Amino acid sequence: MDTAIRSEAHETSTGVMRLVLVGAPNVGKSALFGRLTGIYAVVSNYPGTSVEITRGRFTSGGHDVEVLDTPGMYGFLAVSEEERVARRAILAGGRRTIVHVVEAAHLERSLPLTLQLISLGAPVVVACNLLDEARRQGRAPDLALLADRLGVPVVGTVATTGEGVGELLDAALAAPAPSDGWSLPEPFRSPALRLAGSEDAEAEGEARLLAELALSGDEAAAGDLGADAARWSEVAAERDRRWAGADGYAVAVATARRRMALALLDGVVPDVDPEANRGARALDRLALSPWTGLPIVAVVLYVGFYKFVGGFGAQTAVDWLDHVVFARWIAPVAAAVTAVIPWQPLRDLVNGPYGLVNLGLRYAFAIVLPIVTAFFLVFALLEDSGYLPRLALLLDRALKKVGLSGRAVIPLVLGFGCNTMATLVTRTLETRRERVIATLLLALAIPCSAQLGVVLGILSAWPGAVVVWGLVLVLVFLAVGRLAALFLPGAPPSFYLELPPLRSPKPANVLRKTGARVRWYFAEILPLFLVASVLLWAGELTGALRWATGALAPLVRLIGLPPEAAPAFLYGFFRRDFGAAGLYDLAHRGLLSPAALTTAAVTITLFVPCIAQFLVMKKERGLRVAVGVLVVATTIAFVVGGLVGWLLRSVGGWA
Amino acid sequence: MKCTMCGAAPSACEGCPIGTNFFVSQSLSALGPGQRATVRRLAAGSPTDLRKLLALGLLPGVELEVERRWPAMVLRLDCATVALDAALAGAVLVALAA
Repeated sequence: MDTAIRSEAHETSTGVMRLVLVGAPNVGKSALFGRLTGIYAVVSNYPGTSVEITRGRFTSGGHDVEVLDTPGMYGFLAVSEEERVARRAILAGGRRTIVHVVEAAHLERSLPLTLQLISLGAPVVVACNLLDEARRQGRAPDLALLADRLGVPVVGTVATTGEGVGELLDAALAAPAPSDGWSLPEPFRSPALRLAGSEDAEAEGEARLLAELALSGDEAAAGDLGADAARWSEVAAERDRRWAGADGYAVAVATARRRMALALLDGVVPDVDPEANRGARALDRLALSPWTGLPIVAVVLYVGFYKFVGGFGAQTAVDWLDHVVFARWIAPVAAAVTAVIPWQPLRDLVNGPYGLVNLGLRYAFAIVLPIVTAFFLVFALLEDSGYLPRLALLLDRALKKVGLSGRAVIPLVLGFGCNTMATLVTRTLETRRERVIATLLLALAIPCSAQLGVVLGILSAWPGAVVVWGLVLVLVFLAVGRLAALFLPGAPPSFYLELPPLRSPKPANVLRKTGARVRWYFAEILPLFLVASVLLWAGELTGALRWATGALAPLVRLIGLPPEAAPAFLYGFFRRDFGAAGLYDLAHRGLLSPAALTTAAVTITLFVPCIAQFLVMKKERGLRVAVGVLVVATTIAFVVGGLVGWLLRSVGGWA
Repeated sequence: MKCTMCGAAPSACEGCPIGTNFFVSQSLSALGPGQRATVRRLAAGSPTDLRKLLALGLLPGVELEVERRWPAMVLRLDCATVALDAALAGAVLVALAA
């Protein structure tokens, strides 16, 4: 995610070797990319977390090498936006070597795509990754035989340990264009050739592929190919006669390619005992059955998120950083430094209550960093173990009720860490309708970890308040999701997902993934913290803050809160957790009753997302949706907050 | 169209002499855990659904075993374990393994 490009794939200058990593989700492309370049893209044992192309550059043996890591794709017939992104990167043309990363234990699955890639005519190298896993299962393929049959280099690799990576790089840098094209077999080939504008077998590989895709019903490919209308209708008519339409052609071609692949693999892959891996299968059954799976989810949530993130991250680590590191070590230094500044407002900017040090740095490093790091660590463990797809399956039916599919589990769970990052990841969802619903629910009902930490901290004295707060969020999530599912136009979602094997998480993988996400988070968030401090300082100085607070006060009073709570809402827009932290101060000053506190916590959680999230919503969904979500979230926040406050005040012991 | 195994017409397929039941296919969504079958045909309602099935590797001739059908269908293929909802599974026509 850190070095994202879209379609600037044409700009390779001469002398730069470009390697394009291609492969199905979850075969280790990003880990291999990390080994090759030293940059660690966030990789995971969950299909579809690499949402953009990551690019890295390095020098090897006098060559400038550029490596592109593409989102996972199963084939050229694209279903998802990521697959289209990957396809564009592969077909961008220019001098490049395609590195097809395949899972060594499951070559049958990837080989049809290998054949298609070779047919493009550019140099191809096959990286048989996860070779260690294949060896353990007794499924290690005969690499030399495979290379011989395919006519392109095949290298065995274990990206997580680095085995074979050097060899892969050497092979990729030296790879010649393949001699055998592995082009489409007849009878599929001649219509494709005719559509591509040439009867001649030497027709450009790319045009041939586009023709095949166009005949398979891919409209984008038909557009890219740009065949003239007369030829198109003639060839399409022939296709419809022989294969009863585009779907029939697509299935027949895929079947033929699969046969070619199986024939090629004869003798390459050892026969295995299907009863091997029984332990893993039994564990998988436990994770997938709702009877055992849902209790496992509960344990994972309790230990991972409540105990580790909420307990260790949000309390132990925050207390130490805030009370020891900041209060004892940094605050005195900051005070000493600011004492020499001659102008009071400038002193406030640096070290005032909303100053850069107290608000910007302290919040970023002492309060948010430990919580977010703990969250990303747990998330990376779940990802790396392959547990998330199982969770997606378990929750698919429930999520269908709110117009989403099981796939939405990843952005929704990630939202508990950082809503902004999660909004970015909603682009892995299949339809625009799902993306909009997920964006709305993230903005509204999913508290980010910074918010969670502070809200749980404030409410911890009243366990009843935590229960009410949680219940209200769940109800709002379900009700708003249900309404959105009923009223937003578009087809209902469908669920399909490959379940990668359960793997024991690799510590190095988990740490690097956590590190990459924390770095992303800080690059995005720290400037906002600092800008927010400057804005609040300027607001204080000019009186704008007092004016805005005054304007908000009636609204705040309307839901039963003291006017002193208004600033908390104002800060809430800069960072959701600022708002929650403002309430924390009020609670400490004894200004809020349990009812008022619960109301405030509910409202501020549902209230507008932070600036960063708004900007990402605008970038991903467009201004209209972003503003729409903002208006809907703000309205619901105050209406629901008001209702909760009214209900609670009428219950004894809360007022 | 004739059976590729024995040459019989579809109407003669019930009571298949060699037991392949080429034309007797049923929807994958009707299968239960532990049942094995071979994919015969894909009857997807839309090109997008078809692509999803192709992405999962469900092609005519592919053998599968149903692992579970709730909360979604889980299939073990030779090369992967895949999950799909009942709506998509309904578009896959299979013949039960003898």
